[in-house]
Order: sequence, then C-alpha cells, then structure tokens
Amino acid sequence: MKLPTDWKSLASLLAAIVVLAIIFVYLNPRFGSLENFRNILFQMAVPLIVIVGTTFVIQLGSIDLSVQGIMGGAGMAWILMSANTRLETDYGIWAWVVAIGIGLALGCLAGALHSLIKVPSFVVTLGTWYIGLGIGIILYGDAMLPSLKSDVLMAWPTKLTFGLPNAFWLAAVVYAVGILISRHTHFGRSVLAIGNSEAIARNTGIPVNTIKIIAFTIAGALSALAGILATMQIGAGSPDLGSGQLFTVIPAAVIGGTALSGGEGGIMRSAIGVFLLIILNNGLVLAGVNPAWQSGVFGAILIAAIVAVARPDRGILKIAK
Amino acid sequence: MTMVNPTVLKLKDISRTFGHVSAVRSISLEISRGEVIGLVGENGAGKSTLLKILSGVEQPDSGTMEINGKLESFRSPTDAIRAGVGVVHQEQSLFTNLTVAENLDTRNSGRLGIKNWARLNSQASAALNKIGINLDPTSRICDLSFVDRQMVEIARAVSIDPNMTATPLIILDEPTAVLEQNETAVLEHEIKKLKEFASVIFVSHRLDEIMRICDRVVVMRSGKIVSDKKTSEVTKEDLFRAMAGGVSQIAHVARNRLPELAKPAVEIKGLTSKGKFKDISFTARSGEIIALMGSNASGREAVARAIFGAEGYDSGSIEVNGKPVSHWSIAKAVKAGFAYLPSERKVEGMIAGLSATRNVALVHQGDGAKGPFLRLRRLAKAAQSWFDQLDVRPNQIGLPLIQFSGGNQQKIVLAKWLNSPHINVLLLDHPLRGLDVGAAQTVDVQIKKACEAGASLILIPDTIEEALEMADEIIVMRDGEVSARHDLRSKNTLTVQDIVADMV
Repeated sequence: MKLPTDWKSLASLLAAIVVLAIIFVYLNPRFGSLENFRNILFQMAVPLIVIVGTTFVIQLGSIDLSVQGIMGGAGMAWILMSANTRLETDYGIWAWVVAIGIGLALGCLAGALHSLIKVPSFVVTLGTWYIGLGIGIILYGDAMLPSLKSDVLMAWPTKLTFGLPNAFWLAAVVYAVGILISRHTHFGRSVLAIGNSEAIARNTGIPVNTIKIIAFTIAGALSALAGILATMQIGAGSPDLGSGQLFTVIPAAVIGGTALSGGEGGIMRSAIGVFLLIILNNGLVLAGVNPAWQSGVFGAILIAAIVAVARPDRGILKIAK
Repeated sequence: MTMVNPTVLKLKDISRTFGHVSAVRSISLEISRGEVIGLVGENGAGKSTLLKILSGVEQPDSGTMEINGKLESFRSPTDAIRAGVGVVHQEQSLFTNLTVAENLDTRNSGRLGIKNWARLNSQASAALNKIGINLDPTSRICDLSFVDRQMVEIARAVSIDPNMTATPLIILDEPTAVLEQNETAVLEHEIKKLKEFASVIFVSHRLDEIMRICDRVVVMRSGKIVSDKKTSEVTKEDLFRAMAGGVSQIAHVARNRLPELAKPAVEIKGLTSKGKFKDISFTARSGEIIALMGSNASGREAVARAIFGAEGYDSGSIEVNGKPVSHWSIAKAVKAGFAYLPSERKVEGMIAGLSATRNVALVHQGDGAKGPFLRLRRLAKAAQSWFDQLDVRPNQIGLPLIQFSGGNQQKIVLAKWLNSPHINVLLLDHPLRGLDVGAAQTVDVQIKKACEAGASLILIPDTIEEALEMADEIIVMRDGEVSARHDLRSKNTLTVQDIVADMV
C-alpha cells in the first residue's frame, strides 16, 4: 500500500522520540541505561494492551472511555479470586476467566447499546466506566487492601525473558495479534470501512452492528487484561489502579495518527504514540522535574506533540473536531 | 438465424407510495440484454424511487419485478447485488481509506475471517480488466482521480459475481454530474464497452449525453413513464416537452455582453501557488462574466478558492479597488463583497442540520440582526421572500436544509450570498451541478441578475457550452497555467472543439 503522507507524519513522530531521548539522556545519563529501557517497556505494557482495543473503537469513529473503570473492577475481581492477603481461596484460572469476563460483558454491553439503540459511545462508555469502578469498590468493601500472596505471580511481570520483562512480552503478543487482526481479517478491514462511511458500509452488506459490538467487546476484554497485569505489577488490588490510563491511551492514539472521526490510523502507529508518552513521563521523572510541576509540564508537552504531528495535513478549510 | 436478445429486467405495475404521495405509479418497463436505457425526468419525477426499488433500498407496494427471467423481491441492497443489479451512485460509495481491491470485494465483506490478499488483488485485477481499466488494485481510493474512482465503481457493479451466467444490470445514477468534459468522454467510451455483456440504465440531466449514449430514452413525470422511445425517434425538444408536461422549457435568457469596459472589481496579477497554479493574471470587471475552463487537474478550482481567501498563495497579488490586499482571508473577502458557491455544496456550502432560514442568514443578516441578537421574525421574512423568488420547494422555510433536494439546496445556498446588500465578485464553482432543468434555470436567472446589478462573475461551469453561452471572456487553464484566452465580445465563432484543444 502506498501511504506517502502517512509515512511523513510517522517519520516526524520517530524524530520527536529521538529528540526527546537525546534531551533526556543529556539531562540524566541514566535515562539511556539498559535498566531504564527495561523500565520503560515495563511501564508501557499496560497502556499498550489497552490501546489495541481503543484503536479499533476509535477507528470506528466511536470512543471508549471505560478503560479505567474496567481495569479497576477486573483487577479487584482477579486478585480476590487469586491467593491474597484477604481471602485464602485460590481459584487459579477461574480468576482470569471471571476478571476478563467482566471486561467482556461491559464491553459487549457498551457496544450493543451504542450500535443497536444508537446511544453515543461517549456516554455509554462513561456509564460502563462507572459500573466497572462500582464493581471494584463493592469488591473492595471496607476491609484492608488485598495484596498478592503468590511470589510467582508477583515476580512474573518483572522477570526477564530474552532480556526483556514478561509484562512487555505479554503486551507485545496482544499487540502483534491486534495488528494481524487489523490488517488481515475481514473484521479489521470492516472496522476501517465503517469508520470511513457507516452509510456505505451498511449498503454494501457489512454487518455494522456486529462489527461494532465485537470491537467494543475486544476493547473491554483487553482493558480487563490490562487491569490484571497492573494488579500483578503493583502486587496489590485497588479500584483506582487504572487511574491516568485514559489520559495516556487516547492522546497516544491521536498522536499516532488515528483520527477521532474514524477510518484512519492503525494499531502499530498508536503504539508509537504510547512509547512517546511513556518516554516523556519516565524522562521527566529522571530529569528531576519537581513532582508538583510534572502534570503541568506533561500536559504542555503533550499539546506540543499533538500540534507538531497534526501540522503537515492542515489546510485552511480542513476541519478539526 | 436471428437471435432475440433475452430480457434482463421486466417490471410490471410497480407502485410505491410514501404517506399520501405516490412516488412511483404503476411502472412497467422491459430492458433486454445489451441495451442502454436513458432515464430522464425532473427532480421529484420518481426516478430516485424507481432506482431505489431496483437496488433493493425500497420495496414496492405492488407490482412484480423479474430479473433475468426470475421473479425477485429484494429485501435489502445485498439481495439486489446477488441478483446482479449494480448501482453506481451520483455520490460515490467507495471507502476512500481502503484499497481498490478491498472496495471491489463485495462478496466477502459480510464474513469474518482472514483476508487472502493475493486472491483479492488478482480478482480485482480481473474485474478491472473486464472493463478494460488499468489500475493498481493495491492503491488507495483517496489517491485516485475522480474518473478513476468512477471506473472502480463501475468495475464493482459489473464484478458482482464472476461466475454468474446471467446478465448484470448496471444502473448509472448521474455518473457524469461531477465529471469534466474530457472525463465524460472516457465514461461514454466505457459504457459502450459495457453493452457487450450487460444492460445499462443511465440517468442524467444532460440530454446531449443521453442522446449520444443511449439506445432508448424513458421519460418520467409525476411517478409515471410518459414517453419510452428509441433515441433515433426522438429529439431533445421532444424530451423536454415530455419532462415538463407539454410546455417547452428551452428558454434562453439572452444576455447583452457589455461592449464598454466597466471598472475592475478584482485584478489578479501573477498569482502563483506552488504545485497548484502558476502566474495567473486577469481582470474581472463589474458586470462581466469570466469563465475558467480546464480539466480537474488544471488548477482552476484552486485559483477560485485562492481569490476567495479559502486557500493560500505563494506570490502574486489580488487587487481590490486598485489596491493589493494583504493577509487575504475569507473574512476579508466577504467584507469586500466577495461570494463563493463551492462545488462541494454539502460539505462547504451549507449547514445541513440548520433550517433554511438560518442558512440564508449565515453570512448576511441585513436587518435581521441587531448587535449580538437575531430578529427571528425578520430573518424568516427574508428567507420567505427568497423562497418565493427562487421557487424553492417544499415552501417551508423552517425545514432543515438536508431535507431539501439538491437543486433546492443550491437555490438556498445561492440565496445566502444574494442576501448581501452588494455583491462585488461572485465566484461560482459548478453552480448547476446536479440540478434539473427547472432548478438550473432559476439559478441561472439569479446569477445573471446579480451580474446585471454590477457583480463581476468568475464562473467554473459544468460544460463548455455553458461557458460559450454565458461568458464575456474564457480563460483556459492547463496544468496550472493559462493556456489560452478568448474574448467573446470580439470573437464569437468559438466552438467547443476549440476550447477542448486548449485544455488538453
């Protein structure tokens, strides 16, 4: 496929990453160490899993805001069903099934309401966000925070395989499968078709509602998986553990060139957006920026990055929404 | 032995009513293999409804439909596609973000599973070869020219099922409305090739084309077929009369070309925009009509947009009232009395969800606004007066613009500018695109009126005939540069062929 303009913005994105990396290494040489590289990949794992689902939804021209709620609910369900400091019972694989089932169900619900009853996805997924969060809070109850008891599970995300942390490998597998689905299946191409024109998609016999429901279900399930991984990474459960993910994932998709109006961009490029934002976050910490200032600086740089990436294809009459 | 061509389509007593309006009344029609049928009629004559029934979008209330000898009743567009009816719509229905091959793949789109790119691409090549088009199946639609996209649509319509022995019925719904003259010629050539294995229904408002391309012409009026004759047996005049219901509608509004030179409304000097157009100079005077001619790639639309401030330019100047403008923008252009009718009416010319009243008042409110407040009753009064003058139907100023037909939308978009107290320069990019004879005439009269009132017109017409009939001066562009200038006031022997020769 010929994508001349796409490659141009991709190149500017990679250039931005290189420039940022050089600045951060200058500010703190430790930024360039192998240990920090592993650390970045470790931090990247959760948003990378989430963004695969988010990208499908955004390519449809919809949006999924439920990430943080589903992460919280699924993470809590998973830890309470695995060996933990509050409940001794270990349900093993069923903990995974139930936790991912929560995400699957909430994603499917959002997709169904959005496509069949035509409720804007923005509002529906705000609702499923809070349902997920509610599940997490109910499970949390008023007892103490549950921590993982299994050393194997606790150590798994940081353990190195082929020199890189397991958490990253998990995300990499999800990511690779996501790219394959997006590029080489009827589902993946139909998502792009619907994002380009839902009316044409319906008229050519694409099962629009089914595709939408599947996309939201995938997004929900992946948010749940991300919730489990985040719980493992921390070693303890919390309904709020997804806090801040939405703020990484949606800008990362946009920076990667996935238009919020749908039909454009791709998972591969979204991941580069994630990489950029994680480097930014990590670099600011290592550079010793005052923690009180970090949020503000992060936000400002984020805006600068989006402006820089969007710049090449702006005409006078081009409308940004 | 003489072969009788088999019947591809047989409609019998097809009717469809919406509420208390009967859109299609007891239509019977037969089309045989290899025939090209021209379908004409004014907007609202029932053509669209008939096409929707044929393509499975609407279901008839009564009557029967036989395709290739089989009784069919379509429940959805997919059913129609399976039966071999392919439609090329006026508005293109391709996924611009996907490849040619993916757009041609209509059969697999309903299934889940892995894409077989090799097979997909080879099938696409075969489909493109079938109609003799040489396009890379892996290129994205958004990188293709308009006429190439149209070819992809036709390829899709005929490639419905390569194994199908039955004859496909191809419906071309105003395919030429958005094409330039040279592109139309390509399309005409393609339609002749289609005849070898398909039947074609060709819908167009341009009767010249209908007469050239079609074997038979069917005229619809008020939901009925009022004339169905071989092309060789009718004249353009006959068709007009049948469409309008007895009255001849070819009325030329004559225009006196101004012999003396009025004051310049806008002067363009050496205007250049890298990669789009180069060193364009001309003067548009008050009361004068200048036609910009050229193919799609000639850059004429970009010139018009640059004059209106909708696109930037790199060098050269635009002079209004003898002074070069600086930091030219749409806001400044509007203030200086410029008006622009874009070719992309739905995207750039109107706000579809707003009422007609609000659309008329988008730019100039006149006495309809006082400070930050709108005087709704006065706005409504202004809108109503335009509705009466332009004969907008339905006559309901409160209706959202999207609910009007294309021709009536265009009247309202034009009224938006005519509502201005004084128009200096009126830029018209394909003002008559997709309009039926009646609406085109109304718009045409208003344009000439504005011109007589002192506006300078810069016109990008649909056809060369339109330019020859209206313009004082024709400027022909090729590859972004002026290739010829013709002053029609001094030389009136120009022909369509002369202009085409300058264009290519």
